[in-house]
Amino acid sequence: MASSRARNNEEQQLQIHLITKQSQFAVPDTPYTIQSNVTTTELNNLVNTLLEASQNEMYSETEFDFLVKGEFLKTNLAKHLKDREISFEDVIDVEYVERFPAPEPIDCLLHDDWVAAVQSYGEWILTGCYDNSVNIWNMKGEHKLTLSGHDGPCSSVAWISLNEDSGIGLFASGSKDQIIKIWEWNCHQNKAQCIFTCKGHERAIECISVSPNGKHIASGGWDNFLKVWSASTLDETTGSGSSKKVKTDEANVRTPISTLEGHKEAISSVHWIDNGTILSSSWDHTMKIWDLNMRALKNEIAGNKSFFDVSYSHLNGLIIAASADKNLRLFDPKSNQGTIVKSTFLGHNQWVSSVRWSKTEEFLFISGSYDNAVKLWDYRSPKAPLFDLVGHEDKVMAVDWSNPKYMVSGGADNSVRIFKSRKVLEE
Amino acid sequence: MANKKLKRKIIEEKEIKVDEKPKEQSVETEEDEDYESDKDLLVEIDNEDQQENDENEEEDDSDSDDILSFESFKSDYEENENDFNSENDEEEQLEFEDSSVEDELTTEELESLKKKQEEKQKIKELVEFRKKERVEQKETSKLIMDTLRQPEDETYLAMRENSVQSKSLPGPSNLSDEIEESDKKKFVEYEDDGDTSDEEDIRNTVGNIPLHWYDEYKHIGYDWEGRKIMKPPAKDQLDVFLRKMEDPDFWRTVKDPQTGQDVVLSEEDIQLIKLIKKQRAPDQNFDAYEPWVEWFTSEVEKFPIRNIPDSKQSFLPSKVEKKKIGRLVHSLKMGWMKTKAEQEKIDAEKKIPKFYMLWDSDTGREKMRRIHDHVTAPKRALPGHAESYNPPSEYLFNEKELQDWQNLSDEPHKRKLHFIPQKYKSLRQVPYYQNYIRERFIRCLDLYLCPRAKRMKATVQPEDLIPKLPSSKDLQPFPTTQSMIYRGHNDIVRTMSIEPKGQYFVTGSDDKTIKIWEIATGRCIKTINTKGVVRSVAWCPNQKISLIAVASDKRLLLINPHVGDIKLISKKTDDILAEAPVSEEIENERIKTAVQWSAEIDKDEYKDGVRIVINHFQEIAQVTWHAKGDYFATVMPNGLSRSVLVHQLSKRRSQTSFSKSHGMVQCVLFHPIKPCLFVASQQHIRIYDLVKQEMIKKLMPSCKWISKMAIHPKGDNLLVSTYDKKVMWFDLDLSTKPYQTLKLHASAVRSVAYHSRYPLFASGSDDRGVIVCHGMVYNDLLQNALIVPLKRLEFHEKVSDYGIFEVLFHTTQPWLFSSGSDYTVRLYT
Repeated sequence: MASSRARNNEEQQLQIHLITKQSQFAVPDTPYTIQSNVTTTELNNLVNTLLEASQNEMYSETEFDFLVKGEFLKTNLAKHLKDREISFEDVIDVEYVERFPAPEPIDCLLHDDWVAAVQSYGEWILTGCYDNSVNIWNMKGEHKLTLSGHDGPCSSVAWISLNEDSGIGLFASGSKDQIIKIWEWNCHQNKAQCIFTCKGHERAIECISVSPNGKHIASGGWDNFLKVWSASTLDETTGSGSSKKVKTDEANVRTPISTLEGHKEAISSVHWIDNGTILSSSWDHTMKIWDLNMRALKNEIAGNKSFFDVSYSHLNGLIIAASADKNLRLFDPKSNQGTIVKSTFLGHNQWVSSVRWSKTEEFLFISGSYDNAVKLWDYRSPKAPLFDLVGHEDKVMAVDWSNPKYMVSGGADNSVRIFKSRKVLEE
Repeated sequence: MANKKLKRKIIEEKEIKVDEKPKEQSVETEEDEDYESDKDLLVEIDNEDQQENDENEEEDDSDSDDILSFESFKSDYEENENDFNSENDEEEQLEFEDSSVEDELTTEELESLKKKQEEKQKIKELVEFRKKERVEQKETSKLIMDTLRQPEDETYLAMRENSVQSKSLPGPSNLSDEIEESDKKKFVEYEDDGDTSDEEDIRNTVGNIPLHWYDEYKHIGYDWEGRKIMKPPAKDQLDVFLRKMEDPDFWRTVKDPQTGQDVVLSEEDIQLIKLIKKQRAPDQNFDAYEPWVEWFTSEVEKFPIRNIPDSKQSFLPSKVEKKKIGRLVHSLKMGWMKTKAEQEKIDAEKKIPKFYMLWDSDTGREKMRRIHDHVTAPKRALPGHAESYNPPSEYLFNEKELQDWQNLSDEPHKRKLHFIPQKYKSLRQVPYYQNYIRERFIRCLDLYLCPRAKRMKATVQPEDLIPKLPSSKDLQPFPTTQSMIYRGHNDIVRTMSIEPKGQYFVTGSDDKTIKIWEIATGRCIKTINTKGVVRSVAWCPNQKISLIAVASDKRLLLINPHVGDIKLISKKTDDILAEAPVSEEIENERIKTAVQWSAEIDKDEYKDGVRIVINHFQEIAQVTWHAKGDYFATVMPNGLSRSVLVHQLSKRRSQTSFSKSHGMVQCVLFHPIKPCLFVASQQHIRIYDLVKQEMIKKLMPSCKWISKMAIHPKGDNLLVSTYDKKVMWFDLDLSTKPYQTLKLHASAVRSVAYHSRYPLFASGSDDRGVIVCHGMVYNDLLQNALIVPLKRLEFHEKVSDYGIFEVLFHTTQPWLFSSGSDYTVRLYT
């Protein structure tokens, strides 16, 4: 009796309603009756047959992911519904989206020491290393240049600009020796020199970030101060007094345009929301949004753990944060009431050191953790990541997805791993 | 006749004399003397009185002297009365005296006493006689007044009655006195009246009886001697008329009804009568219209008569009254005293007849007078079918059952039934039950021997005995899981210390190196070889100096790690330490042999950051900084009396505070706020005041071997770990005994640590487990610390018998480090 009933349960019929936002994959707007225990593969077959029927032979098979009530279908449909306590009686809307293809590992760039920072710009990858050096690589895996000038491990790097025509690139590097250096790199000659030295931090610099218009650099570190520097190449008024002194050094010295005080402990990451707004996260369990023009605090988001890294998405305005635990948390800075944490992403086994939103995909972000894994997430699927980007043999220290084509990560195994996003590849 | 009268007078006089005697003498002696010399006195007074009487008689002749003679009489009378009263008292006293004296006196004396008594008897007779006389006097006066009565004058009557009844009121008594006076005067007049042939003092002794009883007799009563007083010959109308014509005093002549004599009223009597008739005060001398003296005027004076300010008492409420009222109120409250209404209620209730149950136990259980909480005897089981006289056949024994029953005769208690069921045809045939008395007796014996007292048994659930602790979920954050492993050392990591800012920490190991780690990434920043087993490291708590004190065998190294603020503070530290201050003090020899400071470092070591080396004479087991970062203390367990040394960085000198060794010093600790030093020997902890150079307290942990101590950042609580598996929490304000002892570890506890911000503490043990506890200290002194064990973290691998050597909390985050024998340091978050 019981077993037959169970079988009945499994074989329960469900009415689903297939919808999509991608018009090229639209199917007739009719409800379908299917078995409740279907999985994504069966649904894929269903959608593909439907599309094939409607679009005739023009159609080539596509992989889809299915969203039920805003969450990805990972198990069979009945279990998914049961877990979320959705009634089997109603017609269920099943949204299907083209599956993000699995990223493809491309290369492994070996360094002499731990890679603490990484950022790509076009075809170029900039890495900061624990051997105090800044390295430039290209996507093909060729090592272009090693810049040594710091006295401490280079904890963060940031591209300012890269003029393709002139081949002159500008980037900044922040180090634990409390100095930010702005470098000018000639792509063609493959020569670089430090044009400015920014001094002002009283302890190790943890993070730097360049404003969207490339005029300013924000930096934070263990001295709890958030400092904003000029990033322009012109030796402007800020350095007029100090320029003479700088001549004794090999580069000009810059002092901060403004210093924002407020964090009680080390600032772990800074990001520009727009040209006048900075987001900073700190070990004091808070994220602060600063208004640069007012030089004042705009908003504060309190968590209950130290934040190690945050990322702000310009596409959806959400903040993803990595804190001193295994979970990633999605914050909505605009929501004033209720829980600010929108969802928690479970999957890593260790502290998550770094997290970055995709620049092009609204729902996607990648995270790097001390459990040697880089994971690609869709924020509609908090229970499990889309893909694990395996490769690192030690802690992942930094990830970057500045170039939509490449996901770059650096770790304590002295390597930088590059994964190629297939979706962009196809386009 | 005249003699008799005289004698009576003499007696009267004598009485007066007696009364007149000074009162200094006691009444008894007076009396005795009086009666002893009675006869002599009588003779003496006889003579005197004779003269007086003569005088009286002379005076009596003239009418003008009426008043005088009357007054003497009056005084006479009054004194008599007084005498009588006093005599009464005397009599009583005498009698009492006699009875008491009789027992003691001899027969001779008795005779004399008898004589005395006889005399007394005589006197008594006299007194009685006089009593009578007085009554008679009253009666005569009454009689006169009756004659004076005028029926229309009611006020007079009332006044008279008043005068007779009570003499307390001044007005009427005066009146009555006057009336009496007038009465007596009449007597005098009457006595000396020349008109009457009878010169005898005829006073009627019949008493207060209606005189018409004598109407049929010739006499009207009896005089003193008991002779009849004859009625005066009745006067016919003619005689009356003639007298009316002849006698000018006829109009004022009245007849005394008691004696039948005619009495002529004096002028004063007439006046008196007139006044009474006019309803005036019957005193001639009374002036009803004398000038009014206004003692209290109605006018309000401008100034007070008295210039004394009101006394304080007049406006202060009386304390005594307050007390009294308080007492009354209290008694009202307690119900000892009843208000009128209440009392009436009670009285009313009392009036209602009370009914009571004749047999009180009818309704309720009978109360036993002596047995409280009586427990009723257990009820006997009701008889079953087997006990019936006519049981169903299945209850009757068959042969086998009967056999069984009989077989068990040795052990009757094993039988199912204590009797054999019997069947009878009718109740009539049921015989007497043989065991009845026996069973009753046993039952009674059971009840008697069984103590049926109510047992007070508290049912305590074991769960209730466990203190209510908050759930660990509410006490977050605390370290729950391992987050990082710091690998690099090649031997056991004995010691750790964290940078005040919380970015780096330093570890010291048996592989003779110290390593500086970046906490967040787990990267070893620096490794410094110290050429000796590192037993203790301590990062200077002063953030303005970048220094680590490292105890490496016999050397104490002060190392500048060159992390954190490399540019400013590290450089400054180097600069400060480069120059040794000039010390003028001559160092004690005792210290000199124990410690040498040296700033000359060989080049390799200088490169590594070693700035100062302090060479000790023994192996250093521990180094600890004072909170301000200038002083630090080192412990050499084998240093005997010099095992604890306190060094001062700024002056580069060392001192030892203790002249005597108290056993092997395990561990020392500076108080975070006060200038106190905690010194733990194997079994005790001594707290020294460093300023006063004296011991403040000695803590008794009652353990065998202390391993480590940690002090709460507020300085009032101390944690002590011991090698005998215990962790003890001392509340320094509370007691020298531990406030709580935690026996959570299975093996020796090597280290304890407090968190500087969160209410957390942890202990690490050789069982490779770290136990994190919540240790909330309240500012409220009355509330004891709350200690809740939260989590056991066991991640270290088993390498040897040793487990965890040191536990350490992050300065700002709720993170915990543990260093173990598996050469690793682990971070728990």
